[in-house]
Amino acid sequence: MRRTLCLLFCLLLAFGGALGAQEPALRETFQEAKALWATQGDRDGATARFEQVQAALQPQVQTLSPEGIRMLCETYNWLAVLDDRNPARKARVAGHLDAILDLDPEFEIDRNLSNTRLQTAFDGIRNQKLARITLTLQPEGGVLTVDGKARPAGSVPRFLQPGLRTLAYAKPGYETVAQEVELALKVPKPLAFELRRTSSTVTIHTIPSGVEVLLDGKPVGTTQGMASGADRPLAEKVGVPVEQMSEGFVVAGLTEGRHLLELRAPCHRPRRLELDASFSIPFADHVLEPAKLELSQGTLTVRSTVPGELLLDGKLMGTVPVQDLAVCAGPHQLQVRYPAGGFTQAIEVPEGQAVVVAARPKPRMAVLGPVDEAAFTGRDRFLQLLGSLDSRLTQVAVLPPQAGETPEQAEARLKAAGGAELLLQVHPVRTATAHEIELVVSTLQGEQERFRVKPLEQDPFGDLVARMNQVPREVRPHLGMVLLDVPGQAGPWVLSVGPEAQAAGVEPRKPIVEVGGQPVASVAEFQARLQQGGDVVEFRQAAGGPVKALPLRQAPLELPVASAAFCYPLVLADLRLRLKGAAGEEAGRLRLWQALALMHFRRYDKALEVLREARAGAARGVSQGTYDYYAGLCLQRLGQTYGPEATQAYRQALQFPHATLFGPEGPRVAPLAQRALDDLNP
Amino acid sequence: MSVRPRRLIIPPVILSLALVLGAQEADLAERLFRSGERAYGARSHAEALETWNQLLQQAPTSPFAAQALLRMARHFAEVEQKPEAALPLLDRIKAEHMATPWAAEALLMRGRLLASRAAKPSDLREAVAEFHRMVDLFPDHVAVPEARLQLGLAAVRQTQWDRALVHLADVLRLDPATPIAAQAWLQMAECLDWMGDLEGCLRLLQGLRSAHPERPEAAEAAWRLAVRVKHRLIRPPFRSTGPWPAGRQKWLKTPTLLGTGADGGLFIYQSDLDRAFRLTGSELAASGGTAKDARALVVGPGHQAWLLTRTGVVKGEGEVWPLPEGASNPVGACRDAWGQLWVADGKVGTLTLLSPEGQPRSLPSPAAVALAGLPSGGAVLASDANRSLLFLDAVGQTRFTVPYGQGLPKAFTSVVALCSDPVGHVAALVDGAFEGVVLWGPDGTLLRHATLESLGLKGRFRAIALDREGGVILADRSNDLLIRLD
Repeated sequence: MRRTLCLLFCLLLAFGGALGAQEPALRETFQEAKALWATQGDRDGATARFEQVQAALQPQVQTLSPEGIRMLCETYNWLAVLDDRNPARKARVAGHLDAILDLDPEFEIDRNLSNTRLQTAFDGIRNQKLARITLTLQPEGGVLTVDGKARPAGSVPRFLQPGLRTLAYAKPGYETVAQEVELALKVPKPLAFELRRTSSTVTIHTIPSGVEVLLDGKPVGTTQGMASGADRPLAEKVGVPVEQMSEGFVVAGLTEGRHLLELRAPCHRPRRLELDASFSIPFADHVLEPAKLELSQGTLTVRSTVPGELLLDGKLMGTVPVQDLAVCAGPHQLQVRYPAGGFTQAIEVPEGQAVVVAARPKPRMAVLGPVDEAAFTGRDRFLQLLGSLDSRLTQVAVLPPQAGETPEQAEARLKAAGGAELLLQVHPVRTATAHEIELVVSTLQGEQERFRVKPLEQDPFGDLVARMNQVPREVRPHLGMVLLDVPGQAGPWVLSVGPEAQAAGVEPRKPIVEVGGQPVASVAEFQARLQQGGDVVEFRQAAGGPVKALPLRQAPLELPVASAAFCYPLVLADLRLRLKGAAGEEAGRLRLWQALALMHFRRYDKALEVLREARAGAARGVSQGTYDYYAGLCLQRLGQTYGPEATQAYRQALQFPHATLFGPEGPRVAPLAQRALDDLNP
Repeated sequence: MSVRPRRLIIPPVILSLALVLGAQEADLAERLFRSGERAYGARSHAEALETWNQLLQQAPTSPFAAQALLRMARHFAEVEQKPEAALPLLDRIKAEHMATPWAAEALLMRGRLLASRAAKPSDLREAVAEFHRMVDLFPDHVAVPEARLQLGLAAVRQTQWDRALVHLADVLRLDPATPIAAQAWLQMAECLDWMGDLEGCLRLLQGLRSAHPERPEAAEAAWRLAVRVKHRLIRPPFRSTGPWPAGRQKWLKTPTLLGTGADGGLFIYQSDLDRAFRLTGSELAASGGTAKDARALVVGPGHQAWLLTRTGVVKGEGEVWPLPEGASNPVGACRDAWGQLWVADGKVGTLTLLSPEGQPRSLPSPAAVALAGLPSGGAVLASDANRSLLFLDAVGQTRFTVPYGQGLPKAFTSVVALCSDPVGHVAALVDGAFEGVVLWGPDGTLLRHATLESLGLKGRFRAIALDREGGVILADRSNDLLIRLD
């Protein structure tokens, strides 16, 4: 008896090992139950625990894995054995055996546990419940389905539910055969499936796993899993560890003739395998040598003066700035998340090459609407175009609407969390003849512009995109001298020079004939040379004369206050972002621009606030005198009550006689400030 | 006892009827407006005007009525050239449709019409008020830059250069890339020169050329810049390039007067033919009416030569403005920015100003020998009796005088002919100890001079003109040719 119990215990341990995928606690209970009976003969304790397992698994029977089903069947088997020995519970035995057959008609109760009576009872119940079938499958190794449900590989059923059943047998390279059969109790039914060969197959392993396979240009699946130890010789052939190789992937459908197999995987160089006719004539199953896909990478450097999170195709890749980050070759959607503002750019990384991106926080524009209920002709096309805005806009990062959120909710969320700098509201407007759409671009502070578009026009977003992509020019190269095109002169004629040019020996009222060793005929040509950049510009004022050199400066320009070329909410949002990281002259210039953008919206009070913070070190061109003049202008526009302050601002502007408007060669501020003073103090 | 207030109950049928009728009227107004537009587009102007009039009667309060009024006003002002017919229509928009966006255009057009009719600075007040009103009431309207430009131009005509500068700078501030900005840019440059800032003027002219190379204003800026630099900064010595154009000799019949049009075209009065001709290339085309012994040549509107004679101004064939009695010896004439004709007299000490309608007005002045207009609004008068050039402002007051011969190696005693160019340079053919050509700047500064002898010229030079390349054209009546100095 003790020997039997020990044997049983060992068997139980072996079974227990097969339950690894189940809930550990349940498996432990199952093993405890078996141990209680096997080692201590505690039937009640064992029964109680088996009942616990049964109670836990039975409700989940529809979703149980094959292993779970097996454990449940064994539990019923144990309960039948234990209850059979307890007169009080003996009546439940038949129910347990019946439950086993409901779970798995093919299950065989354990002959070592179950006595002959139990075995006879089990067979009897099975004969009462199931029809016997004898299947012949030719060739082997295919997949059998019963009533549309696939049987596990290699499992050939012997018992099925009586009645009309549909069985189908399939194998790659063969024609699938399906048969309907009427099964009756106690009448064994022989059934044969003999499949006709229709094509060849090739089995391929890939390194790495997860490679998309295409046959003659059509996708046929993706390799997966890890090759087994049996495939080790194959892996050794190509010199890779078997763990790196995928399971075999069977490609069927190789009809007579040549075929092309393509293997593609992200971040890897694609491979093409040409299969000649010998693979398909005669039809046969082939195993190809494992295909190794080489890595295809480049490097990515993202420069940014402001730290942020780098995402590539939505995947977090670290922080910016970043140098020489190895990334997959090919197209990517690059995104940088900044504390305020965002940056997105579509990039193409060539294999083995370096890509450098200069990122900066760009305003984020959240799209709000149209609301789902708003119906209008051309809505689907319009929404499609709206969805593609991100790819067309170069100066903003577009945030699409969030599912299930109304425009009002989104606006409230974004305003509360500072999740965007711009909002794009989309309102359908009914007109006499058709719908129009009002697009409202606004900052979170409320400065807004409206665009009326027609949903059926060719490109309803064309104007908006053009305006938003237009970047106003902030500076222009300048050498601190005024040049004129004068007929009869050999080149641009020097009208006047600043202190730096004077110190460099530039002679007024003489032409410049050469720049960088090349002849120059006009001011436009000269400017074009300056646009080419460089730190110092060398030129001559006479052929063969001395070379004069001047450092190339960037002279500030003004932002036009009402240009139809720009989207002012965007300009303003961008300036606000950029001002956060700016200092010195740049900060002063950005403040002036911000003030001018605010003047576009006639927010003179806000513009004044910004101008009061603006400082310029220079006194020539667009500089401190310009800032003071605009401060006076804003004060004047605020009304007569600010007359004294405006007077003071204009007087301050007069302290800078070389300050100009618009650019380094614009009109001087002084006469304008003087006129304004005369008007204020007649 | 409670009393319930009586409520006026409008039967639903009447309410529906009213709404339907209202909608029908709006629909009718739009259809009438569109019908008028179609007719106008097909150049059936009468039909269009009739249709729009019908709209005004049927739906006078409709927004389409405002549009119709504006279209009609534009037609009268621009096609029929009848501003007097356009103004009442614009007044009606102001009175009845001020809340519509069409009122902005109406105000602007009204201002422009009033400005074009202004004959003196005070006449501009109403026009200026309309431009200001337009800017104040419709600050976002696309035509705001145009209104600001008009404000600048009005200030220019009033010789308020600094005020003009403010308005014109506003135009550039709004958007320097527009065609309107190019016009403002050019005017700003001119204002700066008149304010004495030559460098600022030249900077802006060059800036205009760089920013709008394709615009006509850039071409205008190019010659204005070149002429200023040549005459005022480089000042090369005068040099005769000989008979002009293309060395032509003896091709005229006693040329005694020269004049230049607003486009720079040269006009020549040939005494033997008693009429003026416009020179185009090397071809002459008669211009204006015939007149014997013309004493001055003025280029009027439409590039038409006007000739000043002893008794009047011949504006066209048979169209003569008589001079006021007492004008015994008219010697020179010019037109100002208001369309007034200034006539100087050699004997009577008066300057006669003829309004565009021909109404005379007299101002005291020394006896003159020649007169030339100045682009800044006034004129320069040569008085041999005073031995000086008088630079007069827009109201005929002397701003400053330049004594004959000041700065020259020798003095001259008389001015034979006087001319100016559109940027304010003044040139004279002079006689006396110094016999030759003298050129002054707008501020009377002596810029360039040369004796006829030093130029190697012999002849009876009786007329002078300045061209747009910085050259001087002289008319030689005895040799029947023109000479160009470069």
